Amino acid sequence: MNTPVLRVLGVSKSFGGAAALSDVSADFHPGEVHALMGMNGAGKSTLVQILSGALNPDGGRLEVAGHAQNHLTPRQARRVGISTVPQRRELVMSLTVAENILLGDLPTSGPAVRWKAVREAARAALAGLGIAIDADAIAGDLTVAEQTMVEVAREVRRGGRVLILDEPTACLGPEAAGQIRELVVRLRESGVAIVFISHHISEVLRLADRITVLRDGRVTWTGLAKETDEAGLVRDMVGRDVVSRRPERPARSPEIGLSIRRLGDGRFLDGFDIDVRRGEIVAVLGPAGDAQSRLFDLLSGRRRPDGGTVTVAGKPIRPGRIAHSLAGGLRCVTGDRRRLGLIPGLTVDENILLAQDRLDRRRMHNWRLLTRRAAPLRAGYRVVSLAENPPVEQLSGGNQQKVLLAKWLGTGPAAVLLEDPTNGVDVAAMAEIHGLVDELAGRGVAVLLASSSAEEVMRLADRVVVVRDGRRVAEYDVDLITRDELVAATLGGAL
Amino acid sequence: MTSTAVTKPAPPRSARLRSVPHAGLLLVLAAIIVFASTQTDAFLNSNNLLNVMRQVSVVAVIAAGLTLLMVAGGMDFSMGGNVAVTTAVAAQMLSHGYPAALTVAVSIGLSVAIGLVNGVVVTFTRVAPFVATLATATLLDGVALLVINGMSISIDEHLSTLGNGRTLGLPNLIFVAALVLAVTAFVMRYTTFGRDAFAIGGNEDVARLSGINVVRDKLVLYGLAGALSGLAGIMLLSRLAASSPGTGGLQLQLTAVAAVVIGGTSLAGGRGTIGGTILGVLLLGVVANVLNLLQISSYYQQIAVGAVLLIAAISNLLQSRGKH
Repeated sequence: MNTPVLRVLGVSKSFGGAAALSDVSADFHPGEVHALMGMNGAGKSTLVQILSGALNPDGGRLEVAGHAQNHLTPRQARRVGISTVPQRRELVMSLTVAENILLGDLPTSGPAVRWKAVREAARAALAGLGIAIDADAIAGDLTVAEQTMVEVAREVRRGGRVLILDEPTACLGPEAAGQIRELVVRLRESGVAIVFISHHISEVLRLADRITVLRDGRVTWTGLAKETDEAGLVRDMVGRDVVSRRPERPARSPEIGLSIRRLGDGRFLDGFDIDVRRGEIVAVLGPAGDAQSRLFDLLSGRRRPDGGTVTVAGKPIRPGRIAHSLAGGLRCVTGDRRRLGLIPGLTVDENILLAQDRLDRRRMHNWRLLTRRAAPLRAGYRVVSLAENPPVEQLSGGNQQKVLLAKWLGTGPAAVLLEDPTNGVDVAAMAEIHGLVDELAGRGVAVLLASSSAEEVMRLADRVVVVRDGRRVAEYDVDLITRDELVAATLGGAL
Repeated sequence: MTSTAVTKPAPPRSARLRSVPHAGLLLVLAAIIVFASTQTDAFLNSNNLLNVMRQVSVVAVIAAGLTLLMVAGGMDFSMGGNVAVTTAVAAQMLSHGYPAALTVAVSIGLSVAIGLVNGVVVTFTRVAPFVATLATATLLDGVALLVINGMSISIDEHLSTLGNGRTLGLPNLIFVAALVLAVTAFVMRYTTFGRDAFAIGGNEDVARLSGINVVRDKLVLYGLAGALSGLAGIMLLSRLAASSPGTGGLQLQLTAVAAVVIGGTSLAGGRGTIGGTILGVLLLGVVANVLNLLQISSYYQQIAVGAVLLIAAISNLLQSRGKH
């Protein structure tokens, strides 16, 4: 057993009297993937901020390669070799990959940048990690997975001995997530200590050597990955067993709730057909960025399709018109709540009733009535907040997601498009959200699920349509297929 | 972090101070008032204070419209130019013997049209509001000079009831400004239209997807900014009793923008209050008045106004940062 490069010893941290971390200890070894797990608000991000020098602990200490580090600042953390790849990409999107990798460290002769040296250094950094990305590409043109890899290459080139990856596979499809995992394996082989944060239990069990589970700021379990299993991890994270099983659904109604015919949109969708019966959940599964990611824009009316028709409960909807889509009873719930879902500065109640009030054509805004009308939705969708009615930006990711669902599913929809409904939420919230989607179908709503997660499709859907390159390649009854077969089908393997 | 606090310890005094809205701004204003009253007896004199109120009421009306527009993520740099055109047109009409009611109706109609042109350009061509309205501002300043032919046009005793009249001992202009501020504050907090403005400024895509008619709302907001510029123009004309080159224009515009920004309205949209704007308007008005009373040279006056702007903006920012 090698010696740990980074040790956390009895660290505590509280904010305004509330303990975010109490007496947390963990060791990080070179050449080892150490996963941090826990629900939203368990203290993972506080711990990461302490490791990267953004916060200083109230008690306990950090040791880097045997030396105590008091009052670490982000600059010192980087100097001693601790680097962080945050959850949201931090590249200069208008610059090239090479410039991004050498940002702040451009080779110059006098005042002039030596562009040839920049390109060569960047290519070497990418090749060293086995990343096949053009160093001259513009960062903003890359996929999210590729951007993550560029950030990793930058941090490794700067001499990172401990690399903190904060949910690097969130929002990625199976294929892209696989590429990131391969990169993590190569990093491990090169002797870097990796701190890996993820909500995906199966991924962590496959990838991590060592796991530390946090709950309410305390370590509830730590040990080698091979000593635990999925049920054990969930218990350690949540404090109880979480059961999220497919419920028995009543016999499907023969009525068609949502019908899409010959929908086309550039190279993303090519003559796409689908029928969803009332009370049925049909999933569209494909690689991230493929056909299923275009359905939101087209069905919500944000974007006008090249052609095709959308019919809700027998009535056609005029394409490319948000007002028509809403009036027809179609509700589209985005997977990108930050950009297209919620208004961060408005309160929870206002966000919940934002759509309903506009559908009702309310003219006046009565705050007390607003609270009273939002209360049943808050309770029904289990939105938990510390303050009474804070701006929605202050809630945890899971609670924000529930606000988003309450906002749209509380408006009496006839048909719903759900895009990655459990994006970035913890196990417990995920199980609750799955239950809410079950209820929705139970009420006779036609649910179309656009997803990039095979697990979620297996848990929620009755039928699954697999798409690739904008075309529908297969359709299965979920009862008659296994998860692995489904993943193989999306990746293009033969069944 | 969403860890649950079991007991909430009593907040320290500094935290309580922070929870008072615009505490920093109030402190700066109070400090200036205390300083002024120790330096000169002329300041805390009721005539002087009423005069300050009369002077700030024009800026207040413009700032009210601008606050609502900026909350929705918009910007109108042409409101001062709009005022210049309105005063010029109204002065010409009155001096040519048109009745006051018709003059007011035509001027405000014109100013709404100017606002709508801004709105149409910003909404349909997607030119940044800053750029589009800076262009119209320059254009309008020129138009105003054309209308009065570069001369001063007096309106004699027309509109003097509005400009110099008093009700219950208070200048009539103050009532107009107070009414505009109160109605705007009400609209912003208690109407769906006002909340739409916050939603559009917070995230325009989400607002549109939630069924808000963003195009219509934006046109109404720019039209409203125009209408209030027109009203401010009439008020200014009634106070000055003449329209001259340089009446209204960019100087007035910058004062209004400064007042709104000092009052804590976000340039990025989604945040802002009429209360803050009122304080911003008062602060700038009081500073200008005090410097006049102390007979400080106009060079130093400019320097002092700039300094106050900086201090107020910084104190505002420190307070909002403390909350997060």
